[in-house]
Amino acid sequence: MKVKLSRIFMYIFLSVAAFLSLFPLYWTAVSATNTTPDILAASMTPGSQLIANFTRLLELSSLGRAFWNSARNAVLLTALSVSICSLAGYAFEVYHSKAKDRLMSVLLLSMMIPFAAIMIPLFRLMANMGLVNTTLGFMLPTISTAFLIMLFRQSTRSFPREMIEAARIDGLNEMFIFIRIYIPTMKSTYAAATTITFMAAWNVFLWPRIIMMSPDSVTMPMLISNLMAGYVTEFGVVMLAVLIATLPTILLFLFLQRYFAEGIMGTVK
Amino acid sequence: MKNSAEPSGSTLIKKSGLSLSQKQGLTGWAFLFLAAGLIVLMNFYPMVRGFMMSLQTGVGANMQFSGFVNYTRLFEDPRFRQTLINTFIYLLVQVPIMLILGLILATMLNSRNLKAKGFFRTAIFLPCAVGLVAYSLVFRQMFAFDGLVNTVLVNIGILETGHNWLGTPWSARLVIILGLLWRWTGFNMIFYLAGIQNVDTSIYEAARIDGANVFHQFWKITIPLLRPIILLTAIMSTNGTLQLFDESFNLTQGGPGVSSMTMSHYIFDTAFAGNPMLGYASAMSFAILLMVALLAFLQLKVGDRR
Amino acid sequence: MKKLLVLILVLALAFVVIACDNDNGNGDGEITGSVEDGGTITVWCWDPAFNIFAMDQAAIIYQAINPNFEIEIIETPWEQVDEQITTFATAGTLDLLPDIMLVQDQAFQLNVMNFPEVFLDLTDSGINFSEFGAAKTSLSTVNGRNYGVPFDNGVTIMGLRTDVIGQAGLTIDDFTSVTWNDFITLGQQVLEATGRPMLATTAGGADYVDFMIKSAGVSMFNADGSPNLDNNPTLREAIAIYVELVQTGVLVEVDGWDAFIGSFVNDVVAGTIAGCWILGSIQQNPDHEGLWAVTNVPRLNVAGGTNFSSWGGSSWAVTTNANAALAIDFLKHTFAGSVELYDILLPEAGALATWIPAAASTVYQEEHTFFGGQRVAADIINFSANIPTFYFGIFHYEGISALEVAITNILNGADIDAELQAAQEFIEFQMRG
Repeated sequence: MKVKLSRIFMYIFLSVAAFLSLFPLYWTAVSATNTTPDILAASMTPGSQLIANFTRLLELSSLGRAFWNSARNAVLLTALSVSICSLAGYAFEVYHSKAKDRLMSVLLLSMMIPFAAIMIPLFRLMANMGLVNTTLGFMLPTISTAFLIMLFRQSTRSFPREMIEAARIDGLNEMFIFIRIYIPTMKSTYAAATTITFMAAWNVFLWPRIIMMSPDSVTMPMLISNLMAGYVTEFGVVMLAVLIATLPTILLFLFLQRYFAEGIMGTVK
Repeated sequence: MKNSAEPSGSTLIKKSGLSLSQKQGLTGWAFLFLAAGLIVLMNFYPMVRGFMMSLQTGVGANMQFSGFVNYTRLFEDPRFRQTLINTFIYLLVQVPIMLILGLILATMLNSRNLKAKGFFRTAIFLPCAVGLVAYSLVFRQMFAFDGLVNTVLVNIGILETGHNWLGTPWSARLVIILGLLWRWTGFNMIFYLAGIQNVDTSIYEAARIDGANVFHQFWKITIPLLRPIILLTAIMSTNGTLQLFDESFNLTQGGPGVSSMTMSHYIFDTAFAGNPMLGYASAMSFAILLMVALLAFLQLKVGDRR
Repeated sequence: MKKLLVLILVLALAFVVIACDNDNGNGDGEITGSVEDGGTITVWCWDPAFNIFAMDQAAIIYQAINPNFEIEIIETPWEQVDEQITTFATAGTLDLLPDIMLVQDQAFQLNVMNFPEVFLDLTDSGINFSEFGAAKTSLSTVNGRNYGVPFDNGVTIMGLRTDVIGQAGLTIDDFTSVTWNDFITLGQQVLEATGRPMLATTAGGADYVDFMIKSAGVSMFNADGSPNLDNNPTLREAIAIYVELVQTGVLVEVDGWDAFIGSFVNDVVAGTIAGCWILGSIQQNPDHEGLWAVTNVPRLNVAGGTNFSSWGGSSWAVTTNANAALAIDFLKHTFAGSVELYDILLPEAGALATWIPAAASTVYQEEHTFFGGQRVAADIINFSANIPTFYFGIFHYEGISALEVAITNILNGADIDAELQAAQEFIEFQMRG
């Protein structure tokens, strides 16, 4: 009887948590199909305004361009970031030495620097390298992050060393071992890293706002923020923009989530 | 690595001047060079420039060297104090609730013969996929004066008239805390879940046979075994909260007044709005950096001792 | 050996960085370029219904004179314009500035003084500044030199929904040339009859207190630039009125600009007070056709109190990175020289000319159907003639910010005098630089 009660309590607790987590997303989706008065009247059912809101959004903003820019930036940044950081994380663990461990500790300190603190010097650096308004300028500061290096270094601990030794005896070169043996084995870590990096890259707001000033390089978060700056009062249109900006990361997560959990598991072992 | 078949390191030294392990060590440096170099160039170098700036005072481009004036100024600035208090309210209220909630949820999701496990896990993690700007806007809309929360509360009869959530200092802070909980609990939960799943199930099995109930198992097994992960998430959350910017900037815009503004937001304002004071803004950044490092150190000490 | 290697790598990196990180600020301020060759002028401004619209119209008019002219408008929220001036000037990247940017009047002088290398001196450019209202040009003048071409002057207006106040048996005349105390009494009648507050404003903002003290010609700063908050009866009265407005429910505080616009477009409140640039937003809801009327704002019951004030307003700046000859010629033939342009702007966007020759135009006498046939433009011009002169001060932004904190605290029960004292100290603290 006692067991049953606690079981019921558990289901209730989880259901409330799931409801609270999903509700804002549901409401966003519903609001994207409603008119402003419906939204203000707290309508919880899908309306018929989706097409109208979409047409209006296209009229008000360069949605297509923003979506394409965000997608291109996020894909490029994720690919570069995951390759470079996984190589480094692998190296920190497989070829580890005292000096490398110490360097890693120093690199971890970079996670403690508030971005607001380095924004102006960083911008100045980019400007002097002629990288303002370029995708490279947008990407450079976040290609390599201590968090991602750490994620790969931790996961590499569970990677079987014998495979490396065996490959060396077969006369394979070190880069080849990394690409042909390590990467395929660590699929789930890569999935976790890809998910986290893509989400961050897709959603980053402050830096592109400063480094990407041309209207051609507007991204989805900037588009939402501009809509929010106040000249649009059709909430349904704004909510539709939020929904469109959120779908890619949600889909990516749903798609990779099985590997994602495994990848994180490898990290915390 | 054609030489790897050779019998001893000594012959290798003669051939290439390097032993096998030295050679591998160098390969290691080569592999991590790009990543480490980028962090040095993109984080530490600007930080050093920022530090040099923090030793200067002046407005706009007219700056001169002034030693540590900006740092002593911190102690006299009532607004810095206010944003410091706000940030610590977020830290001390939100982080513990989030971590405990994450632990409880992870434990529940790990229990055997729980139905719809995948659904619950996905649902609770999903907020992490939403961008900061996007969720700030959704929360702003929900907690607006004529927004959803007020409409529902009034209709149910809990409130007589709507409460101005974002227009009142305590509730503006509360909305930020709720937003942070919504956005980040699932993220921490995933780490705990992964940690628990690495725990040998026989430990729980044995405890159950000994008659330990669910709460006992939680306190005596789950928490001690997860300590390293709890420490990791505590440090990450502390770090993230002390640098909190987006929620303050987008969700409440620091308001009303500066009653929900975070330190990073104040730095941004000092550097960019009105008469820009870059030296002072840089000094504040270093104060945050110092606090983060100090707290991480303390947490490591406490976390290791137990 | 490995440590040495790390050291060498770091040093090498640092060297590369420092080598390519030299400052290259320039700002000789000479007017260069040629008009005949034409070219593209880039502009930063922010409101599609207002100043972006105005720039587009100006470009069309100028293209008739100079067919080789192209315009590229980069929609940039004002906060971002302000940030980017700071970023580019500090980073020495003036080549990233546009040709022309719109700068809010309250921030114009402080930006010119902080970043003189950004702004082009227009005094001898051939633009006739004497054709603008003197009070307006003074806002973009530093040390007797002109740095801005005036755009709109943001006369504060009160727009009311005649149908809503009608339900309480009131007309627009009942709200014209009243004191704030009268207004609160009337507002409570409307609130009782309709359940609607009269007005909305952004929570924690100081916009109301700001325009109230301006309506009495009082500033937060003395003529020598020192702050004047703790011993300022007009300011104290304005804050007391604001608190009463909120506490009676006649004024409702909403969250952010979008909610403010939404408050009157979406039928939450009975009216609005803002700069006349708000006319464009008022006309967003076609269902409201014929239901709005415009009048002057309530006055403070203090010495020098009037029913007229200003709110916002902005001016065009030409940057040192501009194709200067073309940018100046463009402005000269449009915002500083085209009656035709202002004839479009006033009715369509609510942009009130500060260029005196435009005021004679017949467009300004036309009846406006959205406002039930009222001669809105002529009325606003009359208001503008009565606005007391006003001094912003270089620390206006910090002043507003201090007021916002004070007002928030006072609304939550703090003592007015103690808060004004704290605000005074905050600004003195900021002014230490």
